[in-house]
Amino acid sequence: MSLAELVRRRPSEVKPGEPGGAVPAQIPKIPTRKIGWRVRLKRDRSLLLMVTPAIVLLGVFAYVPMLGNVIAWQSYSPYTGFLRSPYVGWANFERVFANPLFLDAVENTLIITAFQLVFFFPIPILLALLLNSVITPRLRTTIQSIVYLPHFFSWVLVVTVFQQIFGGAGLINQTLRDHGLGSGFDMMTNPDTFLILITMQSVWKDAGWGIIIFLAALSTVPPEQYEAAAVDGASRWRRMWHVSLPALRPVIILLLILRLGDALTVGFEQLILQRGAVGADVAEVIDTYVYYQGVVYGDWSFAAAAGLVKGVVSLALVLGANKLAHVFGESGVYKRS
Amino acid sequence: MNATPTFGRLGDHAVDRRRFLGLIATGAAVVGIPGLLTACSTTPTPAATNPAAAAGDVIPKYIPVTYIDPDYPSVNGSVPGYESIPAELVQSVKDAPGTGVVYTAMTPLWGTVPPSKGNKYYEAVNDMLGSEIQFQITDGNVYGDKLATVLASAKDVPDWVCIPTWNLPPRFGSEIVENVFQDLTPYLAGDKVTPYPNLANISSDAWKFCVFNGKLYGLPFPGEVITDAIFYRRDVLDSLGITPDVKNGQDLLDLALELTGGSTWGAEDLWNSAAIIHAVPPKWKLDGDTLVHRVETEEYREALAWNAALFASGAVHPDAVADQSGEAKARFQSGKSLIANDGVGGWHEAMRDNLASNPAYWQQPFDPFAADGGTPVLWKGNPANIFSFLKKTDDEEKIKELLAIANVLAAPYGTTEYDTINNGVEGVHYTRGDDGLPVPTELAATELQPTYIFLVDPPISETHVQYPGYVKAASEWKANAAQYAADPLFYAQQIVEPQQYASIGQPFVDLEKDISRGRKDMKDLDAAVETWRASGGEELRAYYQDILDQQS
Repeated sequence: MSLAELVRRRPSEVKPGEPGGAVPAQIPKIPTRKIGWRVRLKRDRSLLLMVTPAIVLLGVFAYVPMLGNVIAWQSYSPYTGFLRSPYVGWANFERVFANPLFLDAVENTLIITAFQLVFFFPIPILLALLLNSVITPRLRTTIQSIVYLPHFFSWVLVVTVFQQIFGGAGLINQTLRDHGLGSGFDMMTNPDTFLILITMQSVWKDAGWGIIIFLAALSTVPPEQYEAAAVDGASRWRRMWHVSLPALRPVIILLLILRLGDALTVGFEQLILQRGAVGADVAEVIDTYVYYQGVVYGDWSFAAAAGLVKGVVSLALVLGANKLAHVFGESGVYKRS
Repeated sequence: MNATPTFGRLGDHAVDRRRFLGLIATGAAVVGIPGLLTACSTTPTPAATNPAAAAGDVIPKYIPVTYIDPDYPSVNGSVPGYESIPAELVQSVKDAPGTGVVYTAMTPLWGTVPPSKGNKYYEAVNDMLGSEIQFQITDGNVYGDKLATVLASAKDVPDWVCIPTWNLPPRFGSEIVENVFQDLTPYLAGDKVTPYPNLANISSDAWKFCVFNGKLYGLPFPGEVITDAIFYRRDVLDSLGITPDVKNGQDLLDLALELTGGSTWGAEDLWNSAAIIHAVPPKWKLDGDTLVHRVETEEYREALAWNAALFASGAVHPDAVADQSGEAKARFQSGKSLIANDGVGGWHEAMRDNLASNPAYWQQPFDPFAADGGTPVLWKGNPANIFSFLKKTDDEEKIKELLAIANVLAAPYGTTEYDTINNGVEGVHYTRGDDGLPVPTELAATELQPTYIFLVDPPISETHVQYPGYVKAASEWKANAAQYAADPLFYAQQIVEPQQYASIGQPFVDLEKDISRGRKDMKDLDAAVETWRASGGEELRAYYQDILDQQS
């Protein structure tokens, strides 16, 4: 086996025992000595002290409020309180699942997530690879800053900008009209193209922001690897395929899993702002649905039940995706030692 | 510069939600959830109480006072108008009633929040009151959001809270009002109002509307009889050489289309206007002995068809098609669209906002007409569109003092109190022009925002004398429109609907947008009405029928 071949082969393909392979298995298990908790406490006390504020904050602001979810099993009213609101068992959950509008909202959410997974998720990766190949640092930072910027715009602004450009009275349609080319196409109010529209908006707003983490991962690749590959005659494309992408792989998997956990959360503000323009049939998602039910109509218990269902499904998705990552030999979000 | 006794409410139909969604959703739409009630249909319908019969006993006695005769007297309940400011003002309350303490008040504001430190306007009014009112002002567009949270925590509620009717949260009547706010019946009912003559000067209808569950809770901000109008930009149409002659619905469609061209569109979303010209009942109408809900009526259906025709003709501004109703007013006032619905109070607000930059600015409401060219029917608006409440307390003296302060704030036109509250201090906030009319100073623009008016108001009057020709035009239009005013069923009654029916009407708000924009049709309306009936509509009908039976 030539050296060049070896370099090109991925570590996982290298069989144990072959040159360059891993050390044969059967490593003797190192006996771990049991240390008493007192000793560990003493040993780790400064570390524990440092982590305490974070744990307290997490407890006070995340876990204690979670106890409020008990209202999902109550007929809750803020004036009677948690303690005196009557328990109604699973009635609120039954209402959630019996409600066709909730199911519509779930469907819309999943469609949007799936679409954006294909047409939004890869874009920051491509952008990062592209930027990484720009040599001049000044040019690179300039481009970076420009593509980051829209992230700091609020959704109100983004939707307005899109309306001003693509709307029926927007720049494009007005120009077409002025030149007698018909009234064009009002993209902002067409329910059929709504998926494309919101994905365009997301890409414009957040793709630039999304590249940060990929760029960071790319910056950890030692230049020697590229040099070595170049010496071996690897083309630009080959270097990206065999050096850059493998370096990004753990990050991509990690973000993919996290994204799956968020699958049921799609841009609340973005959608609520454009709901009237295209109608609830395509723009109602779980979050907007819960907002209207809970906050606007004051049906707190129902909304809490719907929110809980969403939370449970999201958790299951994260755990499932993580398991899948382990199956494929990736480390995923976390791993049991 | 006069404070605004009524508010422009362009696209008012969804105003409650719009204001609720507020900033994040300027003009965003609304949701519908039918089927919600199927699960709780086992809940027995709560027995209807009879709000109207009870209201008669708990409201203050009506003792009118007149300080100055209007130049345009009220016709059929229209708003009286005053062309000038009287030279001699009357002080209606002799001594400042306050005891020098500080009270907190939460109010909305559609404008820039004025500075609270060193504000000479606040100082002047507080001097008059004898106690200090410390305002917690929130942008009116997001007021509902804040209100919902504040009211959920009874002990954090300020002493005095303003609540616009469109921000009334669900469960307000059934739970919130009795847990959070003070029952004013023992202080104001019948003759007990006599120590507060300016409060006694407010009409009984407005007071009746402040009665929840048979008890008087609110202090009213009396509303207009005719709340809405269809405005057109007369200045622009004049320059185009068009004198509109609109006698029926088709005329308006034709005019809107005629005005569309280039970068100008004929109309905004005219759903509210469609409802007006088709006389769509606000909630219920009586068909023989049967109650028919708004969404079941032929009028509602025709109004939807009319609005859909307007959208289909292409005369609606594309941004309005995209439901950006938050900027509707801006589009109309800048001439990008030329016909728009608005609350009548939007008229003088538009004068205030545009005369400086465009002295020729004039928006004019169409004279009332019916879609079929017949005699129009204009349903009367709520007798109070905004009210305020006092925080629940055992301290009787505190309530009495706050009511005495309210008595000062409710002083009508022609009193020094009204003048100070609306115009500020002479020499500081305004100077007298040659014609004796007030000319606002620069300080007025920052300090003199309408704030006290959200606590309680005198009977409504048209007093915006500073806009040339306005009082005459507005008073005449209102007097003309008032002849068509009709009482809707359950007029002036604050009916507390059981909570489980809160959201069954909501799918229609979405549907109105969908049908107008051609995304759905009348078949969908039929289906939605069926769902409405099945998911609580029939129970709601029975609930109202019960109230009706008790009243007859």
